Amino acid sequence: MGRYVIRRTGAAIATLIAASIVIFAFIHLIPGDPVYVMLGDGATPDQVAALRDKMGLDEPLVAQYLIWAGNALQGDLGQSIFFETPVTQVILAGAETSILLALITMVWIIAFGVPVGILAAIRQGTMIDQGLSGLAMLLASVPTFWVGLYLILIFAAGLGWLPSSGYPSIFEQGGLANLSYLILPSLALAAPNAALILRLTRASMLDVAREDYVRTARAKGIRPSRVVLRHILRNALLAVVSAFGFTFAALISEAVVTETVFALPGVGRTVVQSIMRRDYPVIQGVILVIVCMFLVINLIVDLSYRLLDPRVELE
Amino acid sequence: MRLMKLIGGIALAALMAVPGSAQTLRYATIGEPPSLDLQMGTATLASTIAQHMFEPLYAFDSSFAPQPYLVTGETISEDGKTIVLKLREGVKFHNGETMGADDVAASLNRWSEYGARGKLLALEKAEATGELEVTMTLAARNGAWKSILAYVNGGPVIYPAEIVTAAAGEPIAAENYVGTGPYKFGEMRPNRYVELVRFEDYTPNPGASDGKAGKRVANFDKLRFIPVPDVGTRVSGVQAGDYDYAEYISGDLYGLVKDDPAVKVKISAAPIFGLMFMNSKAGPLADNTKLRQAIMAALNMKQALQVSVGEPELYEASGSYFPEGNVWYTDAGTEKYNQGNPEKARALAKEAGYDGKPIRLLVSTNYKWHFDNASVFTRQLADAGINVQMVVVDWATLLQLRAQPDQWDMFMTHHSSIPDPVLLTVLNDNYPGWWQTDEKHALMEQFTGTSDLKTRQAAWEELQALIYEQLPVVKVGNNFSYDIASPDLKTSWENAPGFPHFWGATK
Repeated sequence: MGRYVIRRTGAAIATLIAASIVIFAFIHLIPGDPVYVMLGDGATPDQVAALRDKMGLDEPLVAQYLIWAGNALQGDLGQSIFFETPVTQVILAGAETSILLALITMVWIIAFGVPVGILAAIRQGTMIDQGLSGLAMLLASVPTFWVGLYLILIFAAGLGWLPSSGYPSIFEQGGLANLSYLILPSLALAAPNAALILRLTRASMLDVAREDYVRTARAKGIRPSRVVLRHILRNALLAVVSAFGFTFAALISEAVVTETVFALPGVGRTVVQSIMRRDYPVIQGVILVIVCMFLVINLIVDLSYRLLDPRVELE
Repeated sequence: MRLMKLIGGIALAALMAVPGSAQTLRYATIGEPPSLDLQMGTATLASTIAQHMFEPLYAFDSSFAPQPYLVTGETISEDGKTIVLKLREGVKFHNGETMGADDVAASLNRWSEYGARGKLLALEKAEATGELEVTMTLAARNGAWKSILAYVNGGPVIYPAEIVTAAAGEPIAAENYVGTGPYKFGEMRPNRYVELVRFEDYTPNPGASDGKAGKRVANFDKLRFIPVPDVGTRVSGVQAGDYDYAEYISGDLYGLVKDDPAVKVKISAAPIFGLMFMNSKAGPLADNTKLRQAIMAALNMKQALQVSVGEPELYEASGSYFPEGNVWYTDAGTEKYNQGNPEKARALAKEAGYDGKPIRLLVSTNYKWHFDNASVFTRQLADAGINVQMVVVDWATLLQLRAQPDQWDMFMTHHSSIPDPVLLTVLNDNYPGWWQTDEKHALMEQFTGTSDLKTRQAAWEELQALIYEQLPVVKVGNNFSYDIASPDLKTSWENAPGFPHFWGATK
């Protein structure tokens, strides 16, 4: 176990270095210059040259990378060109929203996707199964922004039950009540993902249900509910749990559309707008953090296999 | 103890029930503003926000005439190059200090050296020549000087001398946002909001309120500018009462919101207009006026506007660079606008010796209407046998490419309403396109060489005609953007000004 963790961590660090080179190279390869974006229409060539020089954009790309990577190792992701504040501060400002949104969304996904998937599996072939599968298809195929806009129209503009957009921090005036701002966005974000988890749970349940040991269990006269929960579900969950890992990490990076529709101050929106502004340090910093998160979550998922299934050898 | 808990609970419930308190104006913006240092940038949103904090020496009244604002008046020398400004007495800065001649002189000098529009005035120096007297020395007479001083967008607003001297060519940092306006800087939180707070020691101008001129009254305790990038959310946010005002609502939603009792539509009083620049420095269009005229002859602006705007109340196919009723309005040259005549274009192109070589039209998808106009034009030009190749990039790339003369032949952009023709980008020799003909320079000399309005109007009339003859740029038409407001919000203006202001507003 210990050796496994060390080996996986080593591989993760190698991945991180490779990813950081790719991120850096791609961002600098796209055309467009933050200097023109910052200075606007009236900029003279002298002003452009002076600002480029000041921002270190004239250094060779390799030198720029080494400076950036060296600073990043010391926890300094640089200064945002647009906000003129440290990148770590920009990321932290968005992290609260993104992480809370992802957590609440996960709650919806697990609370809806798994039980409904089980129900569809044990009622395979019936009207219930077909109805639920149809619903899952519908949720998975409707675009998130459309769901989001309709949720706003109905629950905010129409009924006035929930706020339409924005998110004041829970550490500010309003406290935990501010979580109400995240209910509609998390529902919009959960819809397609819950549908996928539903389909996955149903499919792996049905796979496992065909195993010999399930038949044996039934033949031994074990209660049907016990067969479903102990024999089928526990084995079927293995695939579902690894999907949870990916889904959670993806929620942080894929929330861009939802964050835009609901005007949430999250990380996803920050990175997209930073690309428009060619705010290199922010783009690099955010993507690096997201890559780190993917690596850590994957590691956790791999380790959790062992807990779910003692047969899994971590070697 | 129990009682305390109960009181605390009630207080908390009360706070939750009134989100943001009734005294805060909540303005949903299209995005995040860049630096609010008005001297250094020309972003519209930065001007909308920062005009509440920083003030100019002159301010435009409702008819766009510049009126004394931080000054009480001026005397001008015979040759027009020396202007002595008398400052208003006892004007307080947000840091408690009183505005003096050295602050004004330092602000003017810094703007002239580094400011986004600093070169417009050709200011040689500004000196404090008395406690409340500043003397400006210009390199040449400039008929538009008062309008240039009054235009806050990239213009010379007044900061304390020590702040402006320390900042020099760098944008002023947020913690040093100190001005004389009715609101002072509160806080700026990335992706959340920019908040301004009422300045209790504000020294108002004694004149009657008129446009941006005269007295400014701050009724709101706070102004909060919240980025809400999705237009659908800005609309439902106002409908739901989460915002009091939302800017830049798209044309396709006009039908939905105009009759909605939950919102009030504020059509812009200041149309923006699409422009297609032609490269006067390099490429096939540089020395070929005939070919430009062929392009102009092919274009049907009405068709383009129908596609890019749609709603007839929100556009106007007008070739004049200033709207009717404005002192600068003239129809000189506009007979060449909106011809839509492919046969004529084909004949002119032949005369021009056009060989079918592709003409590169640079356009960005960030502004969908630029792209729509460009697509329609490409089709219309193809019908006239002119082969246009659209180069579609994002805005940041377009800004970089258009600075390089060999990368493009035409590019799409837009221009906001301005108070004086001197601010038109096409009149700036260094703006991409680089229109620098002798005829232009001769007329520009007439135009800026006098303060006499009649002479300047006559020169502008000829300049507009020259633009239609030499075609350094093609005007697409006027777009009236619109904002929406909550029905409870009462503003001091009916149609939204170029930079909507909220002194004098209540809810």
